[in-house]
Amino acid sequence: MDLFRDTTILEFGGGAAGPLATRYFADHGATVVRVESRRRPDFLRTLRLTPETPGGLDGAHHFAVLNAGKRSVALDLSRPEGVAVARRLALRVDAVAENFAPGAMARWGLDYASLARDRSDLVMISTCLNGQTGPERHYPGFGGQGSALAGFNHLTGWPDREPVGPYGTITDSLSPRFAAFLLAAALLHRRRTGQGQHVDLAQVEAGIVCLTESIITYTATGEVLGRLGNRSRHAAPHGVFRAADEDGRERWVAIAVHDDGDWRRLVGALGEPAWAVDPALATAAGRLARVDQIERHLEEWTRTRTALAVAGLLQDAGVDAAPVEDFGDLHEDPQLAHRGHFRPVEHAVLGRHPVETHALRFSAMAPRLDAPAPRLGEHTAEVLRDVLGMPEDELARLGAAGVLE
Amino acid sequence: MGGTLHGTRVLDLTSEPGFFAGKLLGDLGADVVKIEPPGGDPARRRPPFWGGRPDAERSLLWLALNTSKRGMTLDLDRPRGRDLLLDLAARADVVLESDPPGRMAARGIGWDALRARNRRLVLCSITPFGQTGPYARRRGSDLTVTAMSGNLHATGDPDRPPVRCALPVSHSHGGIEAAVGVVLALLAREQTGEGQHVDVSLQEAMVMPNVGMAAMFRMTGDRGARAGAFTRQRRSVAREIWPCKDGFVSFALRGGPARVPGLVAMVRWMDEHGMASAKLEAVDWQAHNLNLLDQAQVDALSAEFAAFFRTRTAAELHAAACERTLMLAPINTPREITASRQLAARGFFVDVDDPERGRLRWPGPFARTTTAAGDPDAVRVGIRRPAPRLGEHTEDILADLGLARDEVARLRAAGVV
Repeated sequence: MDLFRDTTILEFGGGAAGPLATRYFADHGATVVRVESRRRPDFLRTLRLTPETPGGLDGAHHFAVLNAGKRSVALDLSRPEGVAVARRLALRVDAVAENFAPGAMARWGLDYASLARDRSDLVMISTCLNGQTGPERHYPGFGGQGSALAGFNHLTGWPDREPVGPYGTITDSLSPRFAAFLLAAALLHRRRTGQGQHVDLAQVEAGIVCLTESIITYTATGEVLGRLGNRSRHAAPHGVFRAADEDGRERWVAIAVHDDGDWRRLVGALGEPAWAVDPALATAAGRLARVDQIERHLEEWTRTRTALAVAGLLQDAGVDAAPVEDFGDLHEDPQLAHRGHFRPVEHAVLGRHPVETHALRFSAMAPRLDAPAPRLGEHTAEVLRDVLGMPEDELARLGAAGVLE
Repeated sequence: MGGTLHGTRVLDLTSEPGFFAGKLLGDLGADVVKIEPPGGDPARRRPPFWGGRPDAERSLLWLALNTSKRGMTLDLDRPRGRDLLLDLAARADVVLESDPPGRMAARGIGWDALRARNRRLVLCSITPFGQTGPYARRRGSDLTVTAMSGNLHATGDPDRPPVRCALPVSHSHGGIEAAVGVVLALLAREQTGEGQHVDVSLQEAMVMPNVGMAAMFRMTGDRGARAGAFTRQRRSVAREIWPCKDGFVSFALRGGPARVPGLVAMVRWMDEHGMASAKLEAVDWQAHNLNLLDQAQVDALSAEFAAFFRTRTAAELHAAACERTLMLAPINTPREITASRQLAARGFFVDVDDPERGRLRWPGPFARTTTAAGDPDAVRVGIRRPAPRLGEHTEDILADLGLARDEVARLRAAGVV
């Protein structure tokens, strides 16, 4: 079934944090309409844009992989007629999602309070870094700032080095999941009660909730958890070890021993070398006390083997181990292939390229990705006809006036 | 109490990797019952402990991820325990579990058995790699699923191994993903009248955090690489996490329409303190494109910012960022986060009182919700109750099922609950 075949979502904004949220709906059949502007395009359309970029604003890789299956309406929101069209769309669709800076939607009269006067059961979600209220609501930032403010950078890296990552500005991927959850729950609530709602999601707050353990550890004990490298405070060994190079590239393998049983299985898989059968290492406390030594020995063993061979051998022995995969390796990963994580779409400028779906598989419905990301304004006329029933002469007039970009 | 999921009944059989999903559903008003073995979930024995005393009611890991849930014990390895679970499932909307694939079925409480009792039930399984496929039976945990997602490869210093976050972010990603899946399945049930099995893979959930770079490999050939506190540009690496007087801040020299005002304002501030050279002041930030600079040019540009940041504390830099709209952020720890005036103004932190354990300060609502009718309680997001004590609601829940008090006593004596 296409769960959302009768659902239309209107999306304002750009980047990753907003648009990734509506992908869950697009992947299950929703019509997701992006309101875009040629004069102020989504920054993902301009990220690596040069005068030589084939397709210009329509040729951006990053926009293409994050916005598959959506439609694009190009409106000039600096003009009242453009805003009026956006408003008519907002009042007609099932939900509105926006991730502009706080106050932008209100300046156009497209904020929840204004829209809800004409449509009390409107479902709308606004996401931004710090939320729609508070003294720092206008604080500007991308995911890099969100990750720092929420506390992820502080926890990622080596204890003797400066903080790093996690790669990919983590609030840009956590917050869309929160937004999809809240938006879907709001649609369910409206279906059951007829009641709409506005959701104000602060990306920093969503990130902090994920780190609740570190917050309450601090409020309960005063302890500030810090960076640990790959080690665990409770078990050893727990790390990432150099494997044999392949094709001139350095390769790594992750090995995680969670308890004493895991350790016994690991020692067995290693062939019971003298250093490992030491009874002092039979307990977690004993291993934690000598973790440096264990890691050195383990790496001597992994260094001459491929990451895949080490992971396979240890998994066969019941030990938690995995090769470290790079972005290319993911396309060869048999498990991701089995789940159909990457799926090809045909893009007018970029040709055939993969896009990704979410991490959910359902027994009675399937994610369906069969359309590429839209060209800017590709669906303007189609959407205004289908959603608003706009007559041809009005389309022509707005087009000629430059309201439709 | 209200909430958009008010009236939704959830049975939470998960272990640590799945705790977060039920907490999120509970924060939206669902009635979530955490079901533990009679000895208690192993997470209850994990330090650190509140008050420093090892105690099943004081593990901060357990407390952190099980708010907004009620709790009962039930031995699912015994036939009577399994029968009671099936009775509970017959009246539930959702079951959450995180056992290795096949283990639920082997105990007679797999998808087929649950579905036979309740066609409307949604079962959500959270596992390292998913229910089927070549790696489904492999062991996996935060470190290893992140290793297999591309995300670990790209995180860390180039001269050290790939590195993870000290807290398991794959559990956060997977927990929210599961919550999305549950609500999508409940929406589908509105149309079909039937539940379904939702299969979450933590490995797959960790691919999205690469924010498109994994899919782009086929077009760019970019396998990703570690750059530590720097980001990779076309011809160089540029610092993004900078030491300041007392810690670190995040600030990017990348250009683009959104960042230019912050760069201009930063240079103006540096100039007010005589710390911007004539060369720096002459930079045309509108035309600035970090991708076009070589390493020597990036290093020369960075040196002045680095020197300025070292003269200021993270708090001073953050205050200036708010005042002057610089796109700069402090590398916060819980110390700064709990003292944030922004979070205080939004009422983000809540004190949760517990008659026996005392009062703790928590991150509270992850969203603010309003309705046109001014009925915020109907859609409120936030903590409903502290994490359950071991078996706290066993009797209430069994009484709801119609079990008499002496029957519960017999189950207790037999070790089933």
